[in-house]
Parts: sequence; structure tokens; C-alpha cells
Amino acid sequence: NVSQVPVAEGKSVQQTVELLTRKLEVLGAEKQGTFCVDCETYHTAAATIGTQGQTGKLMYVMHNSEYPLSCFALFESGPCLIADANFDILMVKLKGFFQNAKANKIETRGTRYQYCDFLVKVGTVTMGPSARGISVEVEYCPCVIANDCWSLLMEFMQSFMGSHAPGLPSVFGTKHDSIYSPSDTMVQYMELFNKIRKQQQVPVAGMR
Amino acid sequence: MADGVLSPGVNLEAFSQAISAIQALRSSVTRVFDCLKDGMRNKETLEGREKGFVAAFQESLHSVSRDLGELERLSNLVGKPSENHPLHNSGLLSLDPVQDKTPLYSQLLQAYKWSNKLQYHAGLASGLLNQQSLKRSANQMGVSAKRRPKAQPTTLVLPPQYVDDVINRIDRMFPEMSIQLSRPNGTSAMLLVTLGKVLKVIVVMRSLFIDRTIVKGYNENVYTEDGKLDIWSKSNYQVFQKVTDHATTALLHYQLPQMPDVVVRSFMTWLRSYIKLFQAPCQRCGKFLQDGLPPTWRDFRTLEAFHDTCRQ
Ligand SMILES: [Zn+2]
Repeated sequence: NVSQVPVAEGKSVQQTVELLTRKLEVLGAEKQGTFCVDCETYHTAAATIGTQGQTGKLMYVMHNSEYPLSCFALFESGPCLIADANFDILMVKLKGFFQNAKANKIETRGTRYQYCDFLVKVGTVTMGPSARGISVEVEYCPCVIANDCWSLLMEFMQSFMGSHAPGLPSVFGTKHDSIYSPSDTMVQYMELFNKIRKQQQVPVAGMR
Repeated sequence: MADGVLSPGVNLEAFSQAISAIQALRSSVTRVFDCLKDGMRNKETLEGREKGFVAAFQESLHSVSRDLGELERLSNLVGKPSENHPLHNSGLLSLDPVQDKTPLYSQLLQAYKWSNKLQYHAGLASGLLNQQSLKRSANQMGVSAKRRPKAQPTTLVLPPQYVDDVINRIDRMFPEMSIQLSRPNGTSAMLLVTLGKVLKVIVVMRSLFIDRTIVKGYNENVYTEDGKLDIWSKSNYQVFQKVTDHATTALLHYQLPQMPDVVVRSFMTWLRSYIKLFQAPCQRCGKFLQDGLPPTWRDFRTLEAFHDTCRQ
């Protein structure tokens, strides 16, 4: 049901966001407040690595304003844990094992739009003080099987994103006919954030 | 009091005279019987007694016939109040002196006017409806007017076991569709139909007739707080509100009063075509979306998908 896309053109991030939201408003989408998704990166602490003789694993702790009471903990390719919001406090206590890479904190903030049964969230991805890209999340709420409504979703995204509409997200391939869950959204945001982090050396204006 | 009302039809003078005439008649009749009772007493000779008795009897009979004649004459003068009134005997209610306490007469007039109007309008409406009948009634009109009222009661009292069997058979027909039957309100069945992972439908039955359907999303709640099927609230999603409208139209389309089981089966077959609600593009314009909605209409015969505005 959800797909998000880094849309960045020759223009600045802000100009592109404005362009997108204007197209949505022309379609007839209605503004419905704001949203925020953030992501903190944790390294497994050096002590543990030494004894196990493994390379350090990364864990991401994420929050989504759509689910204010939950906290999501994800490994890059592993399971996704959904916990209460006070999971953050637990992470502080576990700092012997997991170390917060504060500089890597990344988040996206923006406006939430509703169009018929679609929910669209256009956000500006920021890392530290600078804007790094744009995220677009589209959800078709009546449908619980992501693969069922992919063509429909694609048609909708093309109507306001044009050629920037994304390809099939990787989570869709593994899901088959199972019911879509919030963690599927979070995995997609994690993948998007990772992609944007790797582009961080490139100046904003030239970002693809 | 009622003088004003009485006066046109009734001669009060003649009325009081007639009452005195009745009194006179009664006393003369009494005299006849007195005379008969007394017999032939108080006379010296038998002949004298007989003569006296016959004379007295004759005289009293004469006075009876005279009084009767007088009464008849007066009664013609009195008039006929009740028959002169346009509403016959009910008109007498208007003579009630305590109008304020029991306004029966004015209420009666109102009710009469109202029922007259109702009958007139009902006649007009039935004429119009017969001209432009829906499918539901069009089928029944083929059947003779005498048979129609008969056919309905028999199908309305189908035993619950029969209804269960029909529903069970339909349930087994379509593997991707599951039907849960319950009877929370006595004999009438309610169905919860789950179609794949696409949608849920609440179907309210009356015997084997479908009374009402509500379509909701697969992830929407279909129960009320006390755990009963919620047959009143609509879906939060526009798609399913639209599909609910179309399902209600389908109920009117699929009608065959003599074979209600065929109707239920046809309806369920039609409903099953929504398994591809989000995957089938419109058969006319080829697109998935129109005004933000997928093709919500399914043709009753071919089951093809169309946008609401693309059909026909
Ligand atoms: Zn169409």
C-alpha cells in the first residue's frame, strides 16, 4: 500500500516539494496536518564485537507520527520489532551493547494529504541541519494486500509524480498475499534513508 | 341548545302535540283493557249488563282509533331529523352540547376527509407505480394478480433448516468466499460474507429474501460494541460506500419471487466478482482510477468491471 520515493530534480528540494504539493492540490487532495518519521542508528558496541569476532551490525530505531504509541527497531536485513514508545529508554540503558551514532540521525517531515481513499505524505528528508531529499509515501487505505493494488497505486502516483513514480518496492516481492503492516512501511523508510545517507557527500542541488 | 340545529327539519309545535297524543293514546288503550277486566258487573239484568259492556267497549275502542289517527297525523308534521342530516346518524354527534370536552364530531369529520384523500392519492400512486415498475415488481406482474399474494407467504415461512442448506451450498460453491450465518434476532438470518482479503459484506435476510447489505473493507470492524453484527454504520472508505450502493441496486435487479434460492445464488456470484476490485481495470476506459476510485461497478450479466460513470 505504501511506496516512497526520493524525488529530486535539478531544482532545490524546497522547489520540488512545492511543485509536488501543488499538483496534489490541483488533483483535489486535501491537507490533513503534518507527519514525521525519524530514524536513529545504533552500532553494536565494540566490546561485543571483540568477543564474538563479528563485524558490527547496525540497528535502526524509528518513530512514525502515524503510530505515536509505537517504536520500531529494525536490522538492515533482519526482523522488525514493534515496541512501545518507551523502548527508547531501554536503549539508553543498553548503551553498553548499542551505541547511538548521533550524527546519523535522519528524519523526514512534511504534509499529510487525503485524496479519496488515498493517503499521501510528502516530506523533506533532513540529516543534521541540511535538507537531503524528498520522500513521498502513498497509501491506499481500503486495500490490505499490497500486491493487489500496486497497478492502481502506480497509476495514481504517475498522475502527480510523472516519470518519477517508483518501481515495485522490494518488500512487495516477498510479501505475496499477506496482509500489509506498519512495519512494511518502516522497512521502506529505512531503505530510503540508507540510500539518501550514501548520497550525502553530493551537494543538495545536484542530487538525483 | 340544539334548537338551531333541529328547527329546519323539525316542527317543535307538532312535536309537543304528538307527545300529548301519545299520552292520550296510552290512556285510551288502558281504558280498553280496564273495561275488559271489569267485565259485565254492576248491572241488574243480564241483558242490561251485556248492553252496557258492549257500549263501553265500543266507545273505548273508538277513542283508541281516534287517538291513533291523531298521532299519525301529528307524526307527519314532526318531520324526520336524522334522515335529513347529510351524515345520517353520525350527524347526531353534532348535537352533543359539550363540544369542548368531547370534540368527537369535528374529529370524525377530519378523519373522514383524511381517509378520503388517502384513498385518492393511493389510487394515483398505484397507477403510476404500475406504469414504471422496477424489476422486482415487473416479475410479479407477469404472474396473475390472484397468485401473487399467495406466493409470498409460502416463501416467507421457509423453515430455517432450508435457508441454512441453501446458504451452506453457496458457501461450498465459492472457495474464496466464506459465509458465516447467525440468527441474533430470532428466525431471520444474518450473513457475514468475507471475500478473499478484499472486503466483508453484511447481509440481512428475511427468510430467503435479502433485505439489506452493507459492504465494508477487510480491515474494518463489522461488529458493534456488544459483539453483534453492525447492520447500520457504513464503511469509512469511499470505495466500499460505492460498492454498497451497487449491491443494493443488485438486490433490486436479481428478483425471482418463486425461486428465492436462485436469487441468493445469483447475487453471491455477482458479489464474488469483487475479488478483483483493486486489480481489474475498467473495461471501457482501460484505466484503474477515475476520480480516485477504482472500477466499482460489475455488470449484472457479464460481471465485467466498469467505473460508475463508464457503464453504459
Ligand atoms: Zn472507466
